[in-house]
Amino acid sequence: MPEAIEIQLKKGVLALCVLALLSHADNYAYEIASRLTKDIDMGEGTIYPLMRRMQSDGLVETYLVESQSGPPRKYYRLTAAGRRSFEQQKAEWATFSNAVNAIVGAAA
Amino acid sequence: MTRAEFMTRLRRGLAGLPVTTIADIVADHEAHFADAEAAGRSEAEVAAALGDPDRLARELRAENGLKQWEERKNPSNALAAVIALLGLGALDIMFLLPLLMGVLASLVGLLFAVVAIFVAGGFVFAVGPLTGPPGGPITAFLSGIGLMGMATCLGALLTIVTVGVFNAVVWYARLHFRLLKPAMDQA
Repeated sequence: MPEAIEIQLKKGVLALCVLALLSHADNYAYEIASRLTKDIDMGEGTIYPLMRRMQSDGLVETYLVESQSGPPRKYYRLTAAGRRSFEQQKAEWATFSNAVNAIVGAAA
Repeated sequence: MTRAEFMTRLRRGLAGLPVTTIADIVADHEAHFADAEAAGRSEAEVAAALGDPDRLARELRAENGLKQWEERKNPSNALAAVIALLGLGALDIMFLLPLLMGVLASLVGLLFAVVAIFVAGGFVFAVGPLTGPPGGPITAFLSGIGLMGMATCLGALLTIVTVGVFNAVVWYARLHFRLLKPAMDQA
């Protein structure tokens, strides 16, 4: 079932990407969604359920920032648990992708 | 689809969730439209990029249902999770429902068998010694206790298996459908 595998891959990687973006700087959902849809092909709508889940899992927290135009904007930042999760997932991803690249590269 | 249409359908799809949850989700999507408009995108374009609002609402509801089952494993949460998944179309009804019905029917059958063994054990325990059984009254007495003990063990195993079946259903749904939490999460 190639579709299921692709969904599993993207679901796993998407959370890692959000953690990575937020580890550089706090950000708001629209900006995160635009980055992710541009770079990995993922529907913009998926970002909101994902952010909700990460928030309820205690990986990110929100705060409001006044904006010149319109209502205050909701920013996300990593919690300590989010930072730990990012470091761990980053290491796992590096090991995994290196192994896969080595095998795929050797086959080419 | 216009922004107003998208928001109406999303709101309708979320009905039944806690009011604060709905308000949160609605505010997130309103802000998304506002940001996109500031970036010069049309409402129709943004609505298309966000995807089907009905489906989005169903996913948010289903995730809510699964979370409740994972936090507290009781029959009503199991039912709620399965109903949410059916609403999502995440369970392939043609394939899975007969299978699930079969499994549930066998579990119920086993439950009756366990109760019957327990009752039979109690009977042997209480009446057996008085009927002059082969091997003497003590044998009947002990085998009665043995049967009841066996039924208790089987009952406990049955409970574990039932919880396992529901976990498997949730796992299956996560594996195959566009829910956001991977099925194999290291948690």
